[in-house]
Amino acid sequence: MASSGEEWSPDTLAFMDLAIQQAKLALDSLEVPVGCVILEDGKVIAAGRNRTTETRNATRHAEMEAIDVLLDQWQKNGLSQSEIAEKFSKCCLYVTCEPCIMCAAALSILGIKEVYYGCANEKFGGCGSILSLHLSDSKMLNSGDVLGRKGFKCTGGVMASEAVSLFRSFYEQGNPNAPKPHRPLVHQAMN
Amino acid sequence: MDKWQIIHIPNKPAIPPNQQPTVNVFASMVETKLANTIIRRLNQVAPLENLRHVKRIQKKFLEGGKTQLSMILCLADENDNRMNSLPQDVQELVNSYQLSPFITKVCKNAALSKEEWEEQCKLWPTSYHPPTYNIDGIPGFNEDDSQSIFSFMKSAVELAQSGDGSIVNAAVIVDPSIKQEIASACDQICCCSISTEKNSLESCSEQPEVLSSDLFSNGESNHTSLPPNDFPSETRKSYSGVSCLNPWQWAQENSHTTSCYWHPLRHAAIAAIQSSAARDRLLFPGMGHEGDKPNGVHNIQPTSIGTPAKRQKTDLANVENSEELDPSAGGFHPESARPYLCTGYDIYLVWEPCVMCAMALVHQRIRRIFYAFPNPNEGALGSVHRLQGEKSLNHHYAVFRVLLRKEILNKNEVVAARTSTTNTNATTVCQ
Repeated sequence: MASSGEEWSPDTLAFMDLAIQQAKLALDSLEVPVGCVILEDGKVIAAGRNRTTETRNATRHAEMEAIDVLLDQWQKNGLSQSEIAEKFSKCCLYVTCEPCIMCAAALSILGIKEVYYGCANEKFGGCGSILSLHLSDSKMLNSGDVLGRKGFKCTGGVMASEAVSLFRSFYEQGNPNAPKPHRPLVHQAMN
Repeated sequence: MDKWQIIHIPNKPAIPPNQQPTVNVFASMVETKLANTIIRRLNQVAPLENLRHVKRIQKKFLEGGKTQLSMILCLADENDNRMNSLPQDVQELVNSYQLSPFITKVCKNAALSKEEWEEQCKLWPTSYHPPTYNIDGIPGFNEDDSQSIFSFMKSAVELAQSGDGSIVNAAVIVDPSIKQEIASACDQICCCSISTEKNSLESCSEQPEVLSSDLFSNGESNHTSLPPNDFPSETRKSYSGVSCLNPWQWAQENSHTTSCYWHPLRHAAIAAIQSSAARDRLLFPGMGHEGDKPNGVHNIQPTSIGTPAKRQKTDLANVENSEELDPSAGGFHPESARPYLCTGYDIYLVWEPCVMCAMALVHQRIRRIFYAFPNPNEGALGSVHRLQGEKSLNHHYAVFRVLLRKEILNKNEVVAARTSTTNTNATTVCQ
């Protein structure tokens, strides 16, 4: 999982860096540090970061936040459902951690074009780690033709070590929101 | 008294009881007076290590009150059925007691249900230990719990038909310890059903009209076999409004919806989770970030590498010891009545959720899921995927199916369609 040896285009690294910035915002708010950006035609059109603690809704992952920004905006602009579907089919997502099973399913439902992620998600990952929901026909045998089922292209390992070090900082500072017996918070310099 | 059936959907796919995997063994009839001696010797030279559920001796009652004993000697090679492939020690026993070995089949795995066990014993007797779990209901529900489950499922079914005439999925989140509804929602893919979201705090909590119980499956007539795990294809079409059955369908709609909001991911379960989170924030304001309140969102997003992940694995091990699955021990702290997400709560869904919704319910720590109809397209609780059996997840719920007669939807669809003709403008936006 060494990021130094990988050859990523400067653009890819720049976009993932923006996702990392989002993850840092989450960390600053004592949220699990995951962040993302969504691109259309090479331009960033939405950003999101984890808000599960603030909302007390454990489904409010970075991806869901960014997706809602776009749905809001596009509907305000008067786009129809099929026009919005068309939009999503041109979008790329950069996210610091492999989308979980829920988010991977959501991205497939929306019909997103492509996903780049940082570190793998070995417990919940839906893009290869636990399930492979990015593959369009992974379950065809069982379910027959389902209207409009979509897969997406998926590339992992972009700046993975940066993403992991954010998780590490999060757990090292102690999760103030974790259920009890847990590691005490590291008190800041002022103590 | 009308009875209905609630079926546990296990973590592993159920195999038809008569199609369980088997292995070949050598067996032989033995004389009753020799049985003890031979079995003692066999336990030494050929213990049945991986077949602990299989009984070594089979006893058959013959005509005239006689009994006949057969005994498993040892495992047989699956490909090589020759008698001379017996191990040396076993061969010696065969020779000294003049046994006549034959090959027979026994079930490879221990039975997971009484039905499996009964089937196994037709081949060769096995032992069966009913599973013990910490989640209530897996071994069965008492009358009181069943009544309550039945009544919450009725609310969900009613809600699924409460919209503009087309049937959608509906979700009702319940705190079973006080038998109280926490939140409920319908699919909110299109704007027309958006008003149906409510949590228990909002005023629009009119009691759903109680459906007559004869619409629900009568357990006695339905005892032996599960209804088909699939709708006939022509009926499936008529449930096109159910998001979890057709998650990709939203993109085919071509309506301009400038006047109202819609959302392709707002399936019933997702909307109900959102509603229950809103209730939590409303009831327990200012208990967000500070202090040591049981508000852990720990483990929601992953770590994957290095020390933090290892630490989490230790946590996972605790969870798997069912600590978290016990409503009194998990994140739910009765002294504050402040829920940690949906720990300890149940959800009732008319249709088996899709993988997105099923994973959302893992994240939100739902304790038990009850659904009425399987989702052959996308179901994530046994039909296509089986998230309750994914070991790596940090939370596991128990899944049950409440068997309802399909007519329950058709009957009410007629009623709903009739209502919608008198109320036409509600349907036009989304169709």
